[in-house]
Amino acid sequence: MFTDPISISILIVTALTAVIAVIFALKLKTRAAEAVTAMKTAQLEAEEACNTLDSARIHGCIDRTRRRQVEAVFDVLRDAVIVVDAHGEVLHANEGASGLLSIAPSEAAGKLLVDVVVDYQLVATIADARSGLPKEGRQYEQEIKNDGETVAYEVHLQSVGHKDESMHAVVTVLRDLSREREIARLKSDFVSKASHELRTPLSSISAYIEMLEDGDAQDEATRKEFYGVISTETQRLRRMIDNLLNISRIEAGLMHIDRKQVKFQELIARAVTNMTPQAKEKSLEIHSQLADVDLSVIGDGDMLYQVIINLLSNAIKYTPDGGRITVAADTDNLTRSLHFSVSDTGLGIAPDQTEKVFDKFYRVENYRYVAQGTGLGLNLCRHIVETLHSGQIGVESTLGMGSKFWFSIPAERGQRKAA
Amino acid sequence: MTTAHNILIVDDEAHILQVLSLKLRNCGYSIATAVDGEDALHQAKIDPPDLVITDVQMPYMNGLEFAHALSTNKETAHIPVVVLTARGHTLEASDTNFPNVRKVLSKPFSPRGVAELCAQLLKDVPARNIGKRDVA
Repeated sequence: MFTDPISISILIVTALTAVIAVIFALKLKTRAAEAVTAMKTAQLEAEEACNTLDSARIHGCIDRTRRRQVEAVFDVLRDAVIVVDAHGEVLHANEGASGLLSIAPSEAAGKLLVDVVVDYQLVATIADARSGLPKEGRQYEQEIKNDGETVAYEVHLQSVGHKDESMHAVVTVLRDLSREREIARLKSDFVSKASHELRTPLSSISAYIEMLEDGDAQDEATRKEFYGVISTETQRLRRMIDNLLNISRIEAGLMHIDRKQVKFQELIARAVTNMTPQAKEKSLEIHSQLADVDLSVIGDGDMLYQVIINLLSNAIKYTPDGGRITVAADTDNLTRSLHFSVSDTGLGIAPDQTEKVFDKFYRVENYRYVAQGTGLGLNLCRHIVETLHSGQIGVESTLGMGSKFWFSIPAERGQRKAA
Repeated sequence: MTTAHNILIVDDEAHILQVLSLKLRNCGYSIATAVDGEDALHQAKIDPPDLVITDVQMPYMNGLEFAHALSTNKETAHIPVVVLTARGHTLEASDTNFPNVRKVLSKPFSPRGVAELCAQLLKDVPARNIGKRDVA
């Protein structure tokens, strides 16, 4: 029945159509699967993009927080800090840098370094660090203008960036060396003065010993005089060393003080008794004017005794024969303190020298001829009274009329006890 | 008639004046003393000594100012000066660079050494008749 050509043709067309339909159907199925896969991939990518975006947001927050933290660290530093980016724009300048800038540090961010930093040498230094290879950090000293003055700074430079990049961000930290330089100068002055003052008695000692060895003292009386000089100069040297050590221990906060209730009247009486023979040699009278109240204080008795002895000994040394020395003590209820003074009818001190007498190694010019001293006694007194006993020491004097050295120390606890 | 070189010793430390005066008198010199540069300059102008030994750190006029004043005065410029100081370590060479300063000695010092130096510096200077200065 299907042997006729028409039937065969129809059959072939139908079969082909079916095959094509099957093939088409199969293709459609593959595409659908591909489309599903593509959709899944797109979804994954979208999710990943979302995650990345979230992560970027989080990191942005973290970066801003970190930056604020770092800037806060810079702001509490006393050193000047200037941070510039690779383009030479200021990222941050702290308050310590205010003297170096022409505008307020808080307004410097975003401006070009060259427009805000006053010292052109500093601008050049930072520019060099930006363009050079990133380094671990460089440090050197440089004189830089600060508020119109030239100040020595220790400059630390740290460039931040990759070695392949031509320009880098730079962190500059500048430490003002003025204070250190001043301390070094004071230290050097002190060593120089101490060395001079220590050499003076040492010179006498060594010279007199050599004179004795060489037989320059030709009689017993001269020899005795030489031994006397050697002995007094040795004592002077010892006192200077003791005073120096005590002053430096107090200054370093290493002095142990024995704080107890001290009966001040007793200290004064003991000091006057011990100094009377020296006063008698110069026909000086020592008068005591002690208020009839309880003069107890809380303090270190030995040290306060040393202050009284030093002041009394100075009064005896610098008062001409036949003069008068008055020791007075009273309490001041208003300031709750004990007030002590030693007045003399001695040489007196010129007004421009009264404050200097408490400085280390300072000696009133015309006093050298009158008596020897270490130049340290009054400085030690000041330390004992002011540093260790929270008191105050001073002098009132008229040249040629005499001096009154005084000190006051808190006596609150002693007075309460008395009341 | 006795002749001797005159030496002016300047120091604000009494012991140094005493020890040097005695040592140099024992060596046959005639000695004058002063306690600061001002006093010493005054004395040197009135009666120029053959040699000056001076401390540096003194009140009113220090030893360097004194040496400089001597070097700029026609009457005293020729007098050799020995500087004797406890400040030796802080003095720069330029501080004592005056034509009349022959030697800078540091304290502590040897009186014997000072006497030897005086003999050396004065060996070509004729000694004078002793005027008002004394010799031990």
